[in-house]
Amino acid sequence: MFSQLFKSLFNFKPYRKKSPWILHYNAGSCNGCDIEILACLSPKYDLERFGVLNTGNPKQSDIFLVTGPVTFRSRERLVELYNQMPEPKIVVAVGSCTCTGGVFRGMYNVEDGIDRYIPVDVYIPGCASSPELIIDGLVKGLDILENKTKQIELPFKLFSKPIKKDGITDRTKMSKRIDDEQD
Amino acid sequence: MFEWVLIVLTPILGGFIFGIERKLKARMQNRIGPPILQPFYDMYKLLDKQLILVNSQHIVFALLHMITLWVSVAMLILGFHLVYIIFIHLIATIFLIMAGYSVNSTYSHIGSNRELLTLVAYEPVLILIAVGFYLVYGTFDTGAIFTMGNKLDEMVLLFIAFLLIVPIKLKKSPFDASEAHQEIVGGVELEFGGVFYEILYMAKWIEYIFVYTIIFLFCGNGFLVGTILCFVVFIVINLVDNSTARVRIDHLVKIVLGFGIILSVINLIGISYV
Repeated sequence: MFSQLFKSLFNFKPYRKKSPWILHYNAGSCNGCDIEILACLSPKYDLERFGVLNTGNPKQSDIFLVTGPVTFRSRERLVELYNQMPEPKIVVAVGSCTCTGGVFRGMYNVEDGIDRYIPVDVYIPGCASSPELIIDGLVKGLDILENKTKQIELPFKLFSKPIKKDGITDRTKMSKRIDDEQD
Repeated sequence: MFEWVLIVLTPILGGFIFGIERKLKARMQNRIGPPILQPFYDMYKLLDKQLILVNSQHIVFALLHMITLWVSVAMLILGFHLVYIIFIHLIATIFLIMAGYSVNSTYSHIGSNRELLTLVAYEPVLILIAVGFYLVYGTFDTGAIFTMGNKLDEMVLLFIAFLLIVPIKLKKSPFDASEAHQEIVGGVELEFGGVFYEILYMAKWIEYIFVYTIIFLFCGNGFLVGTILCFVVFIVINLVDNSTARVRIDHLVKIVLGFGIILSVINLIGISYV
């Protein structure tokens, strides 16, 4: 009852937008998008005027900025880092490789994009993305962060197998959210 | 009455100084920088996160660290014995070190190791500065020192030795090896998240008030000289932070202990025999 009173008196949600702390992780990228992210924090495209701090610590950050198509060895680390971040959090996928696999789609060593493993909120295309795009995507992600609850995200479930036809494998129809309607 | 208001408002004042400092550092680097109230936005955001803790002793030590630091600032403002104030501040740092050792994480242990080494580096110099206060003003009581005349000209070298210690306390370059953000991912602050990180963040603000009040103490009665000195030290410390790199931990001990003791002893000999 006391916490209900506290929550009705003090609304701290607008402050999530004003101080986003990011965790930057490279899941096997070529480092092009990493360099652009570091350029965002430089004096020309100053990200710190939004209150953004690049903490290296998952326990103290709200935004998970991932680059790179997921390689075999970085799969576990990606999910571990995502689990160690406290709610509410958003995941921002920077670069074409992180969204869909980019130029490496279908290769033997990469999983095509991170949304096979963790739920993604903002996709930022580009190879490599420009700093203006990254800042724009981050600001849109802050609007999503303001409306999030502290519940853990519902997991995706892979409902069906990939479809093979004429030697082309189609993996786009495999996944759904767990409470979507079955078809 | 004014002292009690100052003691209760210590974190808020420290937060303002922290915010102005981030803006100053950004302007020195030709950037715009965050708004001045940014530390308070961080505080509200951290209060709204899910609670994740490792074990309860870890959090209790961090709470004790912040409360003991606040008590030492309160003692300084109310006018107590100077050496007791230094020892209470030492206990606050020891609580932080024990918090670092109470979790099973490598980076936390390295951060606590480095914090212990910096303690070895600056505590003897601080005790020698307190001895200098006694020889110049005739008393250890800070309440009495705040009412006596301005004797900064007899304590110049001691003031320079104190300026060597300030970057260690405020965790700034070149002496910030204990909270080396890029090297050991924050050291002792590693395993704190959410509200519990807010406790350590607030302890940093209180540390600012402690350091700047001791700079006021060097000037005794002259509050105008003290204010001007605080401004100059603020700008110089941030200039040094922006332009220097981090020093290795063994070099830190050699530089601070070496130069600190030599400067303090020269000044003490000068006070006693000249």
